[in-house]
Amino acid sequence: MMNILALETTGKYGSAAVISGEGKVFSAVSAEEMNHLKGMIDLVDEAIKSAGIAKSGLTHVAASVGPGSFTGIRIGVTTARVMAQMLGLPCVGVSSLEGMAYGVLDDAVSAGALYVVPLINARRHQTYAAVYEAQFTSDLENRSLSSVMEEKQYMIEDLLEALSAKLAEHDGAKIFFTGDGIDAYAEIIEGTLPEGSFIYAPEEIRYQLAAPVAEIALRKAQAGQTVDYSELMPEYMRLAEAEQRLKAGTLSDRIRKPVQ
Amino acid sequence: MKDGKFLTLGIETSCDETAASVVADGRFVMSNVISSQIDIHTAYGGVVPEIASRKHLEKINEVIGKALDDAGVTAEDLDLIGVTYGPGLVGALLIGVAAAKAMAYACDKPLIGVNHMHGHIAANYLEHHELEPPFMALIVSGGHTEIVNVPGYNKCEKLGGTRDDAAGEAFDKIARVIGLGYPGGPKIDRAAKEGDASAIAFKRVYLEQGSLDFSFSGLKTQALNYLNQERQAGRDINVNDVAANFQEAVVEVIADKAVDAAERYRQKRIVMAGGVASNSRLRELIGEKAGEKGIDVLKPSPVFCTDNGAMIASAAYYAYKSGERPALDLDAVPGLEF
Repeated sequence: MMNILALETTGKYGSAAVISGEGKVFSAVSAEEMNHLKGMIDLVDEAIKSAGIAKSGLTHVAASVGPGSFTGIRIGVTTARVMAQMLGLPCVGVSSLEGMAYGVLDDAVSAGALYVVPLINARRHQTYAAVYEAQFTSDLENRSLSSVMEEKQYMIEDLLEALSAKLAEHDGAKIFFTGDGIDAYAEIIEGTLPEGSFIYAPEEIRYQLAAPVAEIALRKAQAGQTVDYSELMPEYMRLAEAEQRLKAGTLSDRIRKPVQ
Repeated sequence: MKDGKFLTLGIETSCDETAASVVADGRFVMSNVISSQIDIHTAYGGVVPEIASRKHLEKINEVIGKALDDAGVTAEDLDLIGVTYGPGLVGALLIGVAAAKAMAYACDKPLIGVNHMHGHIAANYLEHHELEPPFMALIVSGGHTEIVNVPGYNKCEKLGGTRDDAAGEAFDKIARVIGLGYPGGPKIDRAAKEGDASAIAFKRVYLEQGSLDFSFSGLKTQALNYLNQERQAGRDINVNDVAANFQEAVVEVIADKAVDAAERYRQKRIVMAGGVASNSRLRELIGEKAGEKGIDVLKPSPVFCTDNGAMIASAAYYAYKSGERPALDLDAVPGLEF
């Protein structure tokens, strides 16, 4: 009997969820912004208790591994790694972008959108994003996402240009945006894409949540896509700034050259 | 508990060492695992916080696992987990805190947050098993230069500290300027042994009469001016002499003030702590000056001067014994005061 604990701390609000083998989800979401470190264990405990199990009833520990806030990613991944190590459980790594897309899939399908695009604000016109196509059976029973543009760091203008091209290919297609990239780049989106061609996720489901991460983790665990805790790694999608500069050879001279 | 001993796991990630240790009864080190990132940061001329945080995450599980294995215990056997929650680099601290909390929760163990500076002082309990407060503590490291009166296990009264650079920071800066590189402390120490400590007259900075504070930025300026002046005059710079005289000017003031503080508070012991407590000239000079006044100086061996988990375990043990109660909502506090 599977019971997977999933953590999502890559966005503004931390959350934890437990999903059972049948797909029943119990989750706890922080009411405070950026309270990940302080509040993490309380959220975990609340999710486990509301699922009516004990810690010993867990079978996997999953975490959203990014992209997103570097600090947030580290809190979730470290917590998951150590809990898995101590409880002797396998881990499941889930992309924050995939979790966000999955979390709005029902709304996107109901709104008749073809594309689901999670956007995470990476500042200075950059965004961590991916483009998925929403797929569903005619009775709307089975819904899934298939990736059409890989998850990576995009300039918002480049991403929108690629989306414009996709819209031109599919007459009347609509894009469903989610994530805090909407808050940062709404003006650019609205200035680039034709009116009526896109929809924004309502705020209640716009930000990262553990529940869809848990749902994806369940599918991955059922498919045997688990890793040892030591292999559960963050997906920062960006080098540290100093590493970028070291590679580019633009690290401060003050550091590199002695006076003599 | 194992064999009647109270076992504490200490976790430390405040800067660039990922460390964990198991300590019995707050005093006896059963394991001490330190994974240093120094080779990684050397390429950047100093600790890069974002890189430090990333490396801590990659190492923390392995370091905790090895600390348990080396001690021959399991997580089940532990009675307490202690973790540094400040001061330090916030991104680095939070790896240790998140790991410690996850472990405490998963294994149902109490968790105590430890002030890194209290940890440095507690490092002395690990080797001087008879040592008990009260005593005067001198903490000298890359981030700190502090004189602290310690009347009891969990009481620390800061009497003085640096107003600008910490001693280790001053060493790092000068080492960089004269081309010795990072980390400055050990490199200056080594070069100074080959230099003539009376070759250059750097002024000692004692600040106001009776002050137990420090200031090293003026000394740094003196050294930079000296280097410029020599270069302009076309003279060769003797790196070893610069290292010896700069070091002498730093450690003499530290030694004088520590002895002065011990005398004023009638303490018969000075206990050293922190990375710069390994500086051989500081050890020698403070020993001489304190000896003249009948004051003993205790020093941890170099492995317990650098950041380590054992000192955190010891400090956590005494905090727990004094009735401090754990909380799983611990947060990292980068600017934590004494």
